[in-house]
Amino acid sequence: MTDKRMSADDVAAQVRDGMTVGIGGWGSRRKPMSLVRALLRTDVRDLTVVSFGGPDVGLLCQAGKVRKVVYGFVSLDSIALDPHFRAAREAGSLEIAEYDEGMCLAGLRAAAHRLPFMPIRAGLSSDVLTINPDLRTITSPYDPDDVVVAMPPLTLDVALVHLNAADQLGNAQYLGPDAYFDDLFCMAAKESYVSCERIVPTEELTATAPVQSLLLSRMFVTGVVESPGSAHFTSCAPDYGRDESFQRHYVASAREPAAWAEFERQFLSGSEDDYQAAVRAFDERPAVAL
Amino acid sequence: MRALPREILVVEGARQIRDGDVVIVGTGLPLLAATFAQRTHAPQARLVIESGVVFPRVVPTPISVVDPRLMNGASRHGSLFEALGGLVQRGLVQTGFLGGAQIDRYANINSTWVAGKRLPGSGGANDIASHCATVVILTDHERRRFPQRCDYVTSPGFLDGPGHRAKAGLPALKVKVITDLCVMEATDSALRVTGLMPGATLDAVRNNTGFTPEAAETLGTVMPPSAAELKLLREVLDPACVYFPERKNQ
Repeated sequence: MTDKRMSADDVAAQVRDGMTVGIGGWGSRRKPMSLVRALLRTDVRDLTVVSFGGPDVGLLCQAGKVRKVVYGFVSLDSIALDPHFRAAREAGSLEIAEYDEGMCLAGLRAAAHRLPFMPIRAGLSSDVLTINPDLRTITSPYDPDDVVVAMPPLTLDVALVHLNAADQLGNAQYLGPDAYFDDLFCMAAKESYVSCERIVPTEELTATAPVQSLLLSRMFVTGVVESPGSAHFTSCAPDYGRDESFQRHYVASAREPAAWAEFERQFLSGSEDDYQAAVRAFDERPAVAL
Repeated sequence: MRALPREILVVEGARQIRDGDVVIVGTGLPLLAATFAQRTHAPQARLVIESGVVFPRVVPTPISVVDPRLMNGASRHGSLFEALGGLVQRGLVQTGFLGGAQIDRYANINSTWVAGKRLPGSGGANDIASHCATVVILTDHERRRFPQRCDYVTSPGFLDGPGHRAKAGLPALKVKVITDLCVMEATDSALRVTGLMPGATLDAVRNNTGFTPEAAETLGTVMPPSAAELKLLREVLDPACVYFPERKNQ
């Protein structure tokens, strides 16, 4: 059977200008950050990013990789706003398709199920229909008084997700409290790449966890990257929680150009190994009295 | 040991699965055929069960689609919504196995009602016939099962004939019907006899078919299972004669 193991840079090389990229996880939780960081190292641009957004969206926007963001929210959970995304959004440099979460789900579901749209009631009478003039409503063929939003498919060229464990065939498992919608992202995509904390033999996946924890079937997975700690600084329960102090440092740095230049130099100028080493050094820094 | 006609039917059904194929099967003879294929020529056959079980290594011999023996070693235990929507409708499952009370000359299938008698109904059959590229039908060969036209079309074959499927917005389809008498095939046309079971004749086929099927110029004979294959089928996959009660009388 196919061995789908590859590196984060191999994955990034599959992403080409203008593609639509779906990124799994939720806010600042279980984001495929090493794959995002690998994208930052490429020349790719003009991406359309579909995400229940967190720092993945912020970093890609800051690096000038993004033409359009499709989202229901962008937040760092414990910090309400991602400063890079906010800056890009307020500068008007981005195209946006701002939907409701349920509408995003409906769009992914339409793509996953090969449907021309998915009816949903969310969005009716709100300004979501004003700011997205392409969005149409449809009258129920069963009741002329029942009008719903016809959410178009959010078909992805590539999905990027991070899970706790996988095998080399691409079967992948979540062990935390929430699957988010990583399975749906992969089903809505032409190609899906999963980074994970560890690659284990297939039998080990279900030796201590129920089969329901297998979120991704290998049917939907093109490549697997073993990369421990790589959701950092987002959470990857139960392997690790969010690195709150690092996230605060990210936000503080993002607010000020000189500080951001230093953040980039320190954390984003090298490989993933360099990033992980810089994070360890950051953790061990002496406490400074403020 | 000589194979029974229905045993040959199952083995010929299994031969429709190539190694690596993604195949959706229900329980009954199709599941038996798929399990047989996995243990012979198609160890990498990837089975999908409509209940949402993706790529199991089936343990003999489950009695329903919610039997845990059907979930062994699965790659994913999802939902029916996902199996029929995300996999079958999405077009990711090439081959589907179906049965039915009636199969008409244009390979439409009825599993809903016949002459006022209610049958179990569609299940996922319509989804499979609507979206898979190949449908394999395993059934006993009886005249009443093969009418000119189904009393009710549960699952679309070629509807009223060539071009009708495309007009209905359905993708192209290849159908293979395997019975205890013969093999019939069609692609957007009427079913046509392409092979005979050992000992069967074209006359016997036509006498037991409600429509008059055309036949290929040269009719091959379906190869019976080898002794080892038959042993696998009988001793490993159906030791209790659940699928082949007729074996009990042997």
